[in-house]
Amino acid sequence: MAGINEYVILSCILFGLGSIGFLTRRNALILFMSVELMLNSINLMLVAFSAQRADMGGQVMVLFIFAVAAAEVAVGLAILISLFKHIKSVDINRFNLLKW
Amino acid sequence: MDYYFIIFAIMAVGAGIFTITVKDALPSALGLLTVFIALAALYLHLHAPLIAIFQVSIYAGAILVLVVFVIMLLITPDEELETTQKNVSYRAMGAILGAYLIALLAIGLKGISQLVAQKNLPEGFGHPKAIGMLFFKQYILHFEMASVLLLVALVAAIYLAKKNA
Repeated sequence: MAGINEYVILSCILFGLGSIGFLTRRNALILFMSVELMLNSINLMLVAFSAQRADMGGQVMVLFIFAVAAAEVAVGLAILISLFKHIKSVDINRFNLLKW
Repeated sequence: MDYYFIIFAIMAVGAGIFTITVKDALPSALGLLTVFIALAALYLHLHAPLIAIFQVSIYAGAILVLVVFVIMLLITPDEELETTQKNVSYRAMGAILGAYLIALLAIGLKGISQLVAQKNLPEGFGHPKAIGMLFFKQYILHFEMASVLLLVALVAAIYLAKKNA
């Protein structure tokens, strides 16, 4: 059985990958997927600590994160489709209408 | 060493790197799918079978399909899909998924109960019944709030995507 340390390290690596992807890519869809990666790394950490502390509250929290992630993706992708109708691109550098 | 953890941790990290480095959005979505499946396997290892099932059905089944649909809708003329056969990234993805299936078969043959080491966890830890009792007793208000949030998101998504602005 891998200890809690391994799970925390894996979770941190996945969160780092997600944040690197979010900060370096320009495709808005890949930005979404990077956010999903970060959410999943947090889920892994919650489940790992839930098992370590024998407390199921962590698993309930993960189920709430599932609901929030589903809502986030639905609204975010709808916004992206709406943006795509105006600017025929998913490149975030072209979403600069509010840039001062 | 714990081979179950190592196999799926390497798979998750490798697919995560693939997700954020590949050029097109569709192979990126496939990489993310592999991350989700690997994490679902790790949830099984952590005595969370219900979370593992929801990970596959909600994340891999619903959210990622939504993302793939939007990728299909948003292909601009200058980024048309190439023929997939000569694309190296698809081959890498297929190799990772194939490795996953082989790992799954090997572990299934060995017997998953031997791999999941029992600790001093209470009876029925992580089972749907116990989590359902927590949901409908201790977290009933949060549960209702989550359902309202999903309803609002549903209405908002339909409005935003249909609006002729």
